Parts: sequence; C-alpha cells; structure tokens
Amino acid sequence: MGLINETVQVVSNQQVGPRLHLMVLDAPAIAAGIQPGQFVHMKVPRMEAHILRRPFSVYVRDVEAGTIDILYQVVGFGTDHMTSLQPGEECELIGPVGAVWNPPAQGRCLLVGGGVGAAPLFMLCESIVASDASVDVVLGAQTEAALVCRDRYAKLLGDEPRCATDDGTYGRAGFCTSLVQEALQQAAEEGAPYDYVAVCGPEPLMKIVAGLAADAGVRCEVSMEKRMACGIGACLSCVVDTVDGKKRACVDGPVFDAGKVVW
Amino acid sequence: MVDMSVNLGGLPMKNPVTTASGTFAAGMEYSDFVDVAALGAVTTKGVSLNGWEGNASPRIAETPSGMLNSIGLQNPGVAHLKEVELPWLAQKGATTIVNVSGHSFSEYVQVIEALEDAPVDAYEVNISCPNVDAGGMTIGTDPNSVTEVVGLCRAATNRPLIVKLTPNVTDITEIARAAEAAGADALSLINTLMGMAIDAERRKPVLARVVGGFSGPAVKPVALRMVWECHKAVKVPLLGMGGISNGTDAVEFMLAGATAVAVGTANFFNPHATQETIDGIYAYCERHGVGRVADLIGALEC
Ligand SMILES: Cc1cc2nc3c(=O)[nH]c(=O)nc-3n(C[C@H](O)[C@H](O)[C@H](O)COP(=O)(O)OP(=O)(O)OC[C@H]3O[C@@H](n4cnc5c(N)ncnc54)[C@H](O)[C@@H]3O)c2cc1C
Ligand SMILES: Cc1cc2nc3c(=O)[nH]c(=O)nc-3n(C[C@H](O)[C@H](O)[C@H](O)COP(=O)(O)O)c2cc1C
Ligand code: FES
Repeated sequence: MGLINETVQVVSNQQVGPRLHLMVLDAPAIAAGIQPGQFVHMKVPRMEAHILRRPFSVYVRDVEAGTIDILYQVVGFGTDHMTSLQPGEECELIGPVGAVWNPPAQGRCLLVGGGVGAAPLFMLCESIVASDASVDVVLGAQTEAALVCRDRYAKLLGDEPRCATDDGTYGRAGFCTSLVQEALQQAAEEGAPYDYVAVCGPEPLMKIVAGLAADAGVRCEVSMEKRMACGIGACLSCVVDTVDGKKRACVDGPVFDAGKVVW
Repeated sequence: MVDMSVNLGGLPMKNPVTTASGTFAAGMEYSDFVDVAALGAVTTKGVSLNGWEGNASPRIAETPSGMLNSIGLQNPGVAHLKEVELPWLAQKGATTIVNVSGHSFSEYVQVIEALEDAPVDAYEVNISCPNVDAGGMTIGTDPNSVTEVVGLCRAATNRPLIVKLTPNVTDITEIARAAEAAGADALSLINTLMGMAIDAERRKPVLARVVGGFSGPAVKPVALRMVWECHKAVKVPLLGMGGISNGTDAVEFMLAGATAVAVGTANFFNPHATQETIDGIYAYCERHGVGRVADLIGALEC
C-alpha cells in the first residue's frame, strides 16, 4: 500500500518492564496494511519544541480490531514523554514505511531479538509459523523482567524461546550470542542447517550475529536503526553504509541483507 | 477568488509556495501526500556534476524547535536527475527549480550546461551550503567569489537564475547586492545557520561532522530579519525560507518582502505542510480582502 498519515488514538499505554512500555493504538488503516519489518513514523502530541517524529516498529497488529502495538523503551525526551499519553489521546502516524523481511518459503529460520529488538521480529515470526518454513527464536535481555516478549513468543511457538539474560536471572547467563552460535552449530551438525537468520537489536549484537551467520554460510537480515527526519526517503538523514553505497534506512531498509552492510 | 500567482524573477508561479531544497527530494517520496503540480514550484535537492557521497552518520540532531543536519549534499549526479526525476516532474506537470551545487566555479557551470536541454524552469545556485569543505558556503561568504560564480552561471543560461544566500555572514545585504549586480534574477534566503549539538554524557558531538546546518521554526526570526534587510537593499525578487510551517509564517515572509516562499524542515514533521501553507495563504487573503497575493509583498507597515 502507499503511505498514509493516519490520525490514531491511544487505546492503552502501560509499563510492562524496566523502562519498557506497551502502547496500543487504534490505527485501522495502518494495521490493515503493515507488513513484518515495516515501521511507523510517529508525531508525538504535546512536545512541540521537539519537532521531529519518532520511528517505531510494530510489535503486534490486530487487523480485525484495527489496532497496532508498539513496544518502546524509554531512552530520551520523546520516549519518556510518550509514557504520559493517556487513552483517547491522538497522535499521527506515517506508515507503513520501509522494506520487509525476506524469509525463505521453506526451510529453517532463526530469529534473534536483543532487548526491545524482540518486538520487530514478532510479526515475522507469525508469518513464518504460518508458512511451510520452521522457526527457532533466541531472545536476549539485561534481566528477566525485561524479557517482556517471551510469553507471546512461547504461545505462538508452542515452546519456550531460547533466552539469555546479562545478569543470569533467566535462561543462559551472558549475551545471547552464545545461544546463536550453538544453534547454528547444532543445526549444522544435525545435517539440517539454518537457511535464514533475522536479527534486530543493538548494533554490536547485530554485527556479531551477522558475522556468525556469515561464518556458517547462512543468509542473514538485520534491521538498522538510524536517526530519521522525514522517515520516507527524501532527506538522506538515515543512511547506512553498504557495499552498494549509502542506502536510506527508512525506505531502502530498515531491513538489510547483513552481507551488504559495511559495519 | 484570490489571484495566487506571482512572478519570481521571470519564473511564473501559480502560487508563492515551493519546497526548500533538500527537504523534499524531487517530490516522488511525497507523492502519496502532495500533488507536485499544485505547488508554485518544486525545488529539487542540490545536484552536482558526478554525484557526492555526503557525510558520515549521525547526520541529524534535534534541537529546541529545530534541527541540525550535515547531509553534505549527497546526490547521485546530474545525469541521474535528468534521467529519473526531471522527466517525472515534467510528466506530473510541476514547475521545476533545480538547486545547483559545485566544488568549484566550473562545476556550477558544467551542471547548468548539462541541464540546458532538460525540462527545468529555473536554477537555484547554492553558494551557501555549510556542510561541504569546498564550494558552498566558502563561496557565498565572499562578495568577490559571489560576483565571479554568479557571473559565470549567468553567462551559461537564459533561464531564471536564483542565487541562494547563506545567513552565516556579517552583512547579508553586501552579498545580496553582489549577486544582483552579477546578474541574479532572484535571491533565495536563508540557507541553514551553522550550529552544533553536544552530548554531555558522552562528551561527544552529536553529529559525526561536529557542526551542521540549523533549520526549522527556531530560525524563523533570523530569516525574517534577513529577508526584510535584503528587500530594502536589492530590487530583484526574493524567495524567503527558514522555519516556514504554515500559511501565517509564509504571509509574514511576504510582508517582509518575499515574492515567494519555501517550506523546508516542516515537511519532515508534517508531510502535508506545503499544501497547507498554500491553503493558509489563501485563507489569509480572503480574510483580509486581499485580491492578489502579490499585494502582500513588502506590505509590512512600520
Ligand atoms: C526503523 C526503526 C524502528 C524502531 N523501532 C523501535 C521500537 O520498536 N521500540 C523502541 O523502543 N525503539 C525503536 N526504535 C528506536 C526509537 O526510534 C528511538 O529510541 C527514539 O526515536 C528515541 O527518541 P527519544 O526522543 O526518546 O530520544 P532522544 O535521544 O531525545 O531523541 C533525539 C533524536 O534522536 C533520535 N533517536 C535517538 N535514539 C534513536 C535510535 N536508537 N534510533 C533512531 N533514532 C533515534 C530521535 O528520533 C530524535 O530525533 C526504532 C528506530 C528505528 C529507526
Ligand atoms: C536535511 C536538509 C537538507 C538540505 N539540503 C539542501 C540542499 O541540498 N541545497 C540547499 O540549497 N539547501 C539545502 N537545505 C537548506 C534548506 O533548503 C533551507 O534553506 C533551510 O533548511 C531553511 O529552511 P527551513 O527552516 O524551512 O528548513 C537543506 C536543509 C535540510 C534540513
Ligand atoms: S529519514 Fe529522510 S531519507 Fe530516511
């Protein structure tokens, strides 16, 4: 679908973990059109001196209810201010923006979500579950309370995702990259190697996972976070260095072939 | 009915509103929001002869009521513009102003020469970009360089020639007069103000290039003052910009002496900003019984 600038209403806005909040928005047009990997560019109300929109991935969408959920972490003025939005308040969303994930139609997929990066992978996970491909999920977070997507993934997969926490309060202690390495290795040893890895999270995590996938000879996609002004491809604020030159994270991405990104 | 047409130094515009170069690309990205043919003109992103890579990231920073950018005139070169964007604009029926950049005097001329057989309605020569090391603002801050480069561009085309001025000078009227004397048909102002943002926690600049160009609502008072000064100093018409977000802002620039106006940073937070600015000017004229929008030009009472 083309882009729209939809005036949407906050349905609910609640804290779900440390600095983590879930906002449900009544956004029927964007909910109907958005595809896994795409994002919305949000004009947050009542912060006029902060003129730029904020980009957010869509965590969950419900086409029938016409809603989208955004899982956001408080990192600065805008995301802090967002926690004050009340049900019924209006904001504007440009969407659906950006390139989609490209999982294989068949075969094995591994999804790796670090921190709030677990959210943008959920719709992808749903689409793979509904396809002929199979999917395993690795989630990493600082602490157990921050693994806020775990239950939803477990319900979707019918099985626990593999988890790691930096402080060891849940799952493997340390970074989730060790789980990724093991999963890749185990699959290869079983003679059923992965066909695809998708990763979203802090850039250092994405870089490491991209490297592990490349070493294992597995195709890998990443979702890049860059500062955005227009959010629709016009201003060149958000470029990512790739082997094909500078590409716009907002419309050429945010999903990129990890093998093409120059880290 | 309000007559919304204006004439910007030989460029007829159906209404006074264009886009500020670099904030609208060539309009394709905004086509779900804006009908480019409904605008007074589309001003395209700065173009150089063979294209430039631009600066490293991060390239933007949000600042109170504004932003900094250090894009660095990233563009794919004039051949790409001729092949892709200009035919699209022509087919849409848009009036097109091409913003021209160069690292040297001869590059500006070569870009114009390359465009002479393309569907272009006017040139805007950018001698004011703060984000490149050669060309750009280094030319636009020195009256002798302005005289020379504008003279060369003038000799290269009969099309309307707009010269874009930098606010990063002690006296903008000195530069404005030099450009007018060298043959500019119109002047546009302002380009971005040089600025800087610092992340105290990390003791680092926010922008990879350290400094960048400041734009958005915060710069409007500076831009208005400079339009007003230039209006008194030169006879050629002015294309005013700097923080324009709506019809009221645009009317203020016209009262200060602008014949036309450009909407820039506002496109980023409101993709409908250009059309809303046109509608807002129209509504102002109706409310004030102004039959011709051109009657607003320089009509400030002081
Ligand atoms: C495609 C995309 C999808 C995203 N999805 C999510 C998501 O689902 N959940 C979530 O919590 N965060 C997400 N982010 C990051 C989110 O956009 C930033 O955390 C947010 O913009 C920070 O705003 P602020 O006002 O709190 O921070 P401030 O530091 O006050 O913001 C200042 C400026 O920098 C920009 N900025 C700061 N940090 C980032 C960043 N990490 N990425 C991009 N711009 C930044 C802001 O947009 C703003 O323009 C996503 C980013 C992108 C590019
Ligand atoms: C992201 C960005 C890119 C820009 N690129 C150009 C450019 O290529 N050429 C140019 O002459 N001016 C460029 N400008 C300056 C604008 O055209 C305009 O002069 C300035 O931003 C002031 O207007 P505003 O406050 O409405 O944005 C750019 C501005 C921004 C914010
Ligand atoms: S944010 Fe403007 S091009 Fe990507």
